[in-house]
Formats: sequence, structure tokens, C-alpha cells
Amino acid sequence: MSTPQIDGPVAAEPAEAVAVPASAAPAAGRRQLALHAAALLVLALAPFVLDPGYLSTLGRILGYGLLAASLALLVGFVGLPSLGHAAYFGIGAYATGLIGIHVTASAPLQVIVAVAAAAAIALPTGWLVVRSRGIYFLMLTLAVGEIVFLFAARSEDLTGGFNGLFGIPAFELAPGAAVTEPAPVYWVLLAIFAAGYAILWTVTRSPFGLALRGIRDNQTRMTALGYATTRYKLAAYCLAGALAGLAGSMVTLQQKLVTPADASFTTSVAALVAVIIGGAGSLWGACLGAAVVIIIRDEIGSSLDGHGPLLLGAVFILAVYLLPGGLAGAVERLGRGRS
Amino acid sequence: MIETALSRRQMLGVMGVAALSVTGCGSVGGDEESGDEGGSTALKVGLVIPQAGVYAPLGVDMKAGWDLYLAEHGGKLGGRSVKLVVADEGEAPDKGVPAVQRLVQRDDVDVLVGIVNSATALGAKDVVAGAKKLLIVSNAGADKLTAGDVPYVWRSSFTNGQIGFAVGEYLAKAPEGRDGAYAIAADYAAGNEASAGFKAGLEAGGGKLIDEAATPFGTTQDFQPFLSKVRSSGAGACYCFYAGAEAVAFVKQYQEFGLADRIPLFGSGFLTEGGVLEAQGKAATGVRTALHYSAELDNPANQAFVKAYRAKTGKPPTVYAMQTWDAAALLDQAVKGADALDGDALAKRLESLGEVADSPRGAWSFEDRSPKQTVYLREVTPKGSGFVNAIEEELGSFGPAPASA
Amino acid sequence: MPEWIDANLVSILNGLAIGCLLFILAVGLSLVFGMMDVLNLAHGAVYLVGAYTAYALTDGAATWTRFVAAIAVALVLGGVCGLVLAAMTRPLARRGHLDQALLTLGVALVLGELVLLAFGEDVLSVGAPPGLDGSVDLLGRSYPVYRLAVIGVGLVLAIAVYVVVERTRIGALIRATVADRAMVESLGVDSRKVLLGVFAAGCALAALAGVLGGPIYGARPGLGESVLILALVVVVIGGMGSIKGALIGALVIGQIESLGRALLPDQASFLLFAAMALVLLVRPQGLFGARAGLV
Repeated sequence: MSTPQIDGPVAAEPAEAVAVPASAAPAAGRRQLALHAAALLVLALAPFVLDPGYLSTLGRILGYGLLAASLALLVGFVGLPSLGHAAYFGIGAYATGLIGIHVTASAPLQVIVAVAAAAAIALPTGWLVVRSRGIYFLMLTLAVGEIVFLFAARSEDLTGGFNGLFGIPAFELAPGAAVTEPAPVYWVLLAIFAAGYAILWTVTRSPFGLALRGIRDNQTRMTALGYATTRYKLAAYCLAGALAGLAGSMVTLQQKLVTPADASFTTSVAALVAVIIGGAGSLWGACLGAAVVIIIRDEIGSSLDGHGPLLLGAVFILAVYLLPGGLAGAVERLGRGRS
Repeated sequence: MIETALSRRQMLGVMGVAALSVTGCGSVGGDEESGDEGGSTALKVGLVIPQAGVYAPLGVDMKAGWDLYLAEHGGKLGGRSVKLVVADEGEAPDKGVPAVQRLVQRDDVDVLVGIVNSATALGAKDVVAGAKKLLIVSNAGADKLTAGDVPYVWRSSFTNGQIGFAVGEYLAKAPEGRDGAYAIAADYAAGNEASAGFKAGLEAGGGKLIDEAATPFGTTQDFQPFLSKVRSSGAGACYCFYAGAEAVAFVKQYQEFGLADRIPLFGSGFLTEGGVLEAQGKAATGVRTALHYSAELDNPANQAFVKAYRAKTGKPPTVYAMQTWDAAALLDQAVKGADALDGDALAKRLESLGEVADSPRGAWSFEDRSPKQTVYLREVTPKGSGFVNAIEEELGSFGPAPASA
Repeated sequence: MPEWIDANLVSILNGLAIGCLLFILAVGLSLVFGMMDVLNLAHGAVYLVGAYTAYALTDGAATWTRFVAAIAVALVLGGVCGLVLAAMTRPLARRGHLDQALLTLGVALVLGELVLLAFGEDVLSVGAPPGLDGSVDLLGRSYPVYRLAVIGVGLVLAIAVYVVVERTRIGALIRATVADRAMVESLGVDSRKVLLGVFAAGCALAALAGVLGGPIYGARPGLGESVLILALVVVVIGGMGSIKGALIGALVIGQIESLGRALLPDQASFLLFAAMALVLLVRPQGLFGARAGLV
């Protein structure tokens, strides 16, 4: 049973069904802001509660959460399902590592270069792919993603090839002050995550975000209304790519290691699975989905003798069937049912 | 209106992320206890093996080797009972290094054993250096892994260059190598190091390298184009380095495309070790490989080892099992006289160990924290209903870095 | 010049063998997409099922009876997988093609893991049946007989599929349903049965490809993904819903994989995806696509 869409313009042509939380009223916006701030506070207090081991897992969840959220922007708000999003994640991760090894250990600089590099690649590739839609777009992004992955895996001199890039020094916030303790590392990651998430959140609530949703639901009508739809889609694609790059740099800062797997089809699939489980139209849903994926794959997986993907696949199938809007959509329906 | 509902929704969701992360991060890794809680504190060991992915079969062998040693010694190492935590290193460092980090930070192990993937091992080196814990690598063969000034990484396995060098030196003098040799390997660190070791050994022995090739790693399923080049090179022998699925494909195709009869094939032992040999079947007959071990070795320690391993698993042991068994033996010795279980104390004990006399592979000793050991030339021969790596001769004793020796 | 032909003729022949195998694999994927706009991402997993079936039934002794039995069992298993997949994706038809494709992705994950659970993570070999397991001399070079046999079987199957689709009533029904499903339904035909049949047949062929490919590629974890990606490239380039497209696409990709890797080993993989991207950009319906333009 598909969720009846109460938000967004009525579709003249069939649209990819995604549930989008209603968020137009300013009062609701303030409340959302308060909730997000509360969640940020809870996450900031994590180092006082969790062991370093769990803390580093939470850090990974934040990184992949930002990746999933940036993909949610593409899938849920623009209607462009990408199977190659990890390419920009990988570019950001490699850029951070390479700057760290060859240029400077300054984290702000590494992050800026990572975002710039990811955006720089997202622009021409995005220009190529946003002209397609649906399944064609899916496969085109798959091809682009594979090309980036192959490049990362083959360029042994630049990227270390299949073994990956290691020996990345600990990052510094100020010259000479390397950040190595788990708690400060985690807070830096949280800050980056919050910044990226804030950008995404602001965009989705802005007129630009509204226009994107319009394009998703009925591109023909939007074009008739005078919107340069291709340019909107391209802008959204570049933004999503840049933020995926930001997420990639988060992972490198923590792990001090980058491998071609970070740009691979497998990572793209994991991100898409996270978005679908969490709910394509919801940013925090995507983060929740990423948490589910990482916990199943990395934590529970080892107790299942490494068969985490089986559980993940089963959960994914269940999510596609039972939760058309993902976990976020389910929560929404619960709330609607109550009020 | 919808606002209150919205706030509950958002609250639910956003708290969920944090809550899930905290509660979901429960330590559910395999925890095993063996032996009894003796008077002295237990030794907590982190076993890092691949449980999923292309290397998983090796992980099975490694665990079997470890379990066998502990079963033979009452579940104790150095007089202390052992608490084992198994972690999955996956296929690549992106899973392996976080697994090592978790063992060190969350499970608070005293020592670590295992690791197949060299890149993971190099990443793990940083982790144990920071945490000052001992790591005994029981497979990864990266040449430079134990060199340098991190005293906590030791190895019970081999180096890629060591094995390659042994083959090269042999071929330089052997009749098959009279017309020069061709070297072909998978294009990744292990293959490149093995090839380089082979070239160094070949040239040191006065042999000639006709040509070499590096096949794209992981994406080559059809070696026919490369095999054509080998054939037309005019070389008298071919050396190769492949493992896993690529080893199966390469050896089978080497025979299918008619090279097996014309250009004898040599390789580093992993080409025909374990499950890979079963998959190759008769296509591997006559392939000669160099390795520091074979289940066919005839010394008393190995005979006992093979017998016990067979009784436990129904199959003959592989080099992966043997290396991990040896790692357990090393730990047994090191912990026995140690006053503390941190990296410095245990490393000092390992340094004072001298020769390891009763290893199934024969006697060996440490050089730069890696084994200096005898490398054997083996030939795939039919035995019973299957195939084995029969020992042809001893190639000599090689250190971990023979090219610079 | 003779040296070039000499060395590369074997590659070209190899490419033909790979191409024929890819055709058997991809034709089902192409038809299912052409008919239902469902991108069956579990197609590679069905190939894997076929490959492991071949291993299970011929383990050790690859006799003709066992090999034929493996083919029969694989066809049945593949057909069942097709029916199951069709049934699973039907409820999502209203929710759009993306959801259906994602569902098949989930099934692929689960199926792949189940196979691993049953057979372990080892790399497994499948023997060729006796008589086909040797090598023959071709222009002074040895060439495995089995691959020649695959070329033969592939061409025969291509002709068979062509005859069924172009010359029989069932084939006409299939072509009509691909072209205009609503019209076919308005003519009183239960298009659901046609769809189920095509899905089942397509997956059966994928499993068959797994068995036939066994002696060449074996059975191992991860093979499903590699094979799926190749099949996707074939279908994209050849055109969705077109059998001729699947054949031409498969032969082209076969040559890129074989001759391409021989001449440009490092660039061949890039070439594959660049070609795929190019076709998607310039002519999304593929070289011989039955449907035009956007989804």
C-alpha cells in the first residue's frame, strides 16, 4: 500500500513516491530547530558516556549519515536515484588524505580542498547525468561511479591503488596541535556533520528546495512555469556531491585511511539502502538509516559470522515493502495517527 | 495543529539516532574463554581474521590452527588462561583497521594475532604503535611491515620478496631457466613485491629476465591475452604470483591455452595452497612453487601437527593454519617468562627467544622481527584422490629481505 | 601483420565465447526491462545460483549426465526465481520502477548471502564434461574446446530465441506486450501471464548462463555482482527490450573484455563504462532499443 501524498503538488504524471514531512509553517520550523539542537546536544555529550570504541563507531555513523543525507537530497527532494554517489564521497576522502600526506595536516584546509574537489568533479559529471531520469539516471550514475572507483584503484602512485592510502598523519586544528584523543576528534567530526546537515536542512526548507520538489513531482509543469529545471537539478547535484565529499573527509580524518572501497558500487548501494530504510524524503531519516546499516554491518555482523549483509538485505526488503516512506515515514504516520 | 505531532515525530526520530547508536553499539563480537581462571590474570587475545569476503577460507584455516594449539595446551598460553575475542578483518583495510581499533579500544585485548591483508596490517601497525600492544602477524607478507622502529609488530609468516627471491635464485641455476624467465603477477602490492623479489633473485644468480607483466588486480578473469604474450616471449620458464580466485583462473587457463606443456610454470606457494589447489585439480599437475611450508614436510613436528590437524578438521593443514599455530606457540613462550603483558615486555621476551626449534615448518629464527627460514621447492603431484604439494628440494635459508642481504 | 592476427585471433575467438555467454545472460534482463520497466538487479544472483548448481551437481566427476542434469536443475531453479521475483515486484508496481528495482537489489543481497551460507566462501571450480575438457590446436595455438562449444551453444540459442520471438504466436504476444501493454490487455490477453512467463524464462536463461559459464568462470562469492554489471552494460548498449540489441551488445562487450584487455589492459575497464555512459547520454534507448527516450 503506498502512502497517500498529502504534501507537494498533485502529480500529473506518476512520480517516484516519497514521503516528505510537511514543514512550511514557521512555528513548526522553530520547533524543528529546537529538536535538532537538542539532538546535537545529546550527541555532543556522547564522549562522556561512551567508550572510545563506541565513540569511533558513532563517528563513522555521523560520516555515513551525512553521505546518506546528501543522497536523500538527490533521491527524495529531486527524484534522482543515484547508484554512484559514493564517487564524490571517495573523492573527498582521497583529497583529504592526499593533502594530509603531501601538503599540510591542517584539518580546515583539508576539508575545504575535499569539498572543492568533490564539487569540481560533481559539476561536469552532473552536467552529463542530470539530463536523464529514472532508471537511465540510475545506470548512468553507476557508470560514472565505477569509472571513479577504477581510477582510484588503478592509480597506485597517486592513491596507493587497491591497498589504499595510509600513513595519513593526525590532523591539526592549529599549527602543531595535532588532535589525537578520541573525544576531541569526535567533536570535530560532530561539528563538521552539524555544518553539513545544517546546509542541507536550510536548502530543503528554502524556496530552492521547494522548487526542487516541484521538479521532482512534475518537471514539465515547472518548465512551463519558467523554471530552468536542468540548472536547478544540476545545482542540487553539485550540492549533494560537495556534501558527500565533506562526509568523505570526515571519514578520513577519523580513520586516517582511504581505500577504493570508499568510492565503490558497494558503498553507493549501502548509502542508497540507508536512504530507503530511513525514508528518502527525510534528512534525519537518512541518518537513522545510516546508523542501521553500520550497526548491522559492522557490529552485529561479526556475531553472525560475517553474514551481516544477509540481515541487511532482509531488513532492506522489509523496509521497501512495509515502509514506503522509510522509518521517517512510519514515524510520521504514527504521529498523524495520534493527532 | 500538526505542530505538536511534528515535535513528537522529530523528537522520536532524532533521539532515535543517538539512542540507537549508543545501545546498538553493544559488543557482540565473539567472546570465547578457554581453560580455567587461574591464579594469574587471564591473557586477552584479539584474533583478527577474515570472516567474510575473498579471504574468508584463509580465516577458517587460521582459526583452526589457533584452536588446535590451544586445545593441545589445555587452553593456556604461558600458564595463563586465554580469553579470545575474534574480529572480522573483512576484505580491505576499511573494515580491518576499524576492527583492530575496536579490539584495542573497546575489548582492551593484551595482544593481537592474525591479519591476512597487508594493507590492513600496515594500518594496524599505527594502532598498536599508539596503544603499545603486541601484534603477531600470522599471514600478511608486505616486505616492510616489521621493519622500522615500531617494536610491537612481529611476524610468524613470510615476506613476499623472500619467497619470490628464492624462486628467482633457483631458476637462475636450473635447466628450465636456461632460456630466461618471464615474470607475471597481479598488479597490487603483494604481486609487485613478489615479482621484484623474483627479479632480484634471478639476477643475483646470473639468470636472465626476458620480460614481465602485471595484470590488473581483481578485474582480470581472462588471462588469455597475457598468456599469449608469455608464449611468444620465448622464455624457458614462467614465474607468477597469484592467490585466491586469480590463482585458480590463471593455473586453469595456463593449461587450457596450451602453455603448461611448453613453458614450465613456477610460482610463490599461494598459487597452489589450500582450497585453491582443490579447485585447480589436474590443471595444476607439475606446477612448482616455493614456500616455507607444505603439509608434506617430513619432520617430526609436522607429522604430529598434520595428524592432529587432520583429526580435528578432516583436511590437511595449510600454511595459513601453520603460521597461526606458530603464533600461538610464540605467545606461549613469550608470556611464560613475561612480567607484564604490555607490548614492551612481550616484545623484549620475543627478542630473547632465539631459534624456534619445533615448528612444523622446521627450525627458524627472527630477523628484523620476521622469520628467517628455509624455503622449499614443491611440486603439485597427485596423491590418492587429490593433489598435494610434494617437497622436491630445499632452496636454502632466506631472511625477510634477501635482496638487500 | 600475421603475428598480430596470430596473437589476436585467439582473443577475438575468446571474445566471441564471452559474448555468447553474455547474450544468454542478458537477454532475460533486457526483455524484462523492456516489458515491465523493471530493472532486475537480482539477475546476477540468479547467474550465481546456476553456477553453484553446476558445482554442486558436477563436483569432482563432470560426466555428461551430471552436466545435463545441472542444466535442467538450473533452468528450473532460475524459472522459480523469476516467478518469485515477478510476484515480489508486482505489489510495488504502483509505487514506481525505482522501488521495484530497489526490491530486486535487496533480493540480490539476500540471495547472494544464502548461496555463501550454503557453499562457503571458497573459490569453486566446475569441470567441463568429458570430450569438451581438452584443448585443440588452432593456427598453432592451443584453444580450449569448451569455449568453442559455448560459442556454438550461444549461437544456437540466439537463433532459437529469435525464432520463438519473431516467428511464433507467443513471440508476437511478447513483442506486442513490450511495445504497448495496455493495447494487449484491451485485446483480452492476460498480460500478467505473459510477464510472469518472460520473467521466468529470462531468469531461467540467466541460471543456464551460470551453468555454461561454470567451466570458464567457476563459482565464487562476488561473481554475481561482476556479472550483473556486465549484463547491465550489455543491455544499456544493445537496447532494452531488444533481442537483436542484446546479441549485438553482448558481442561488442565480449570483444572489449577480450580483445580490449589484450590491446589496452589498463584502459579496458574504463572503456566499458565510458561506452555505457556514452550510450546513455546520446541514445538512452540503446542501439536497438524497443522503447524510445525517457522512462
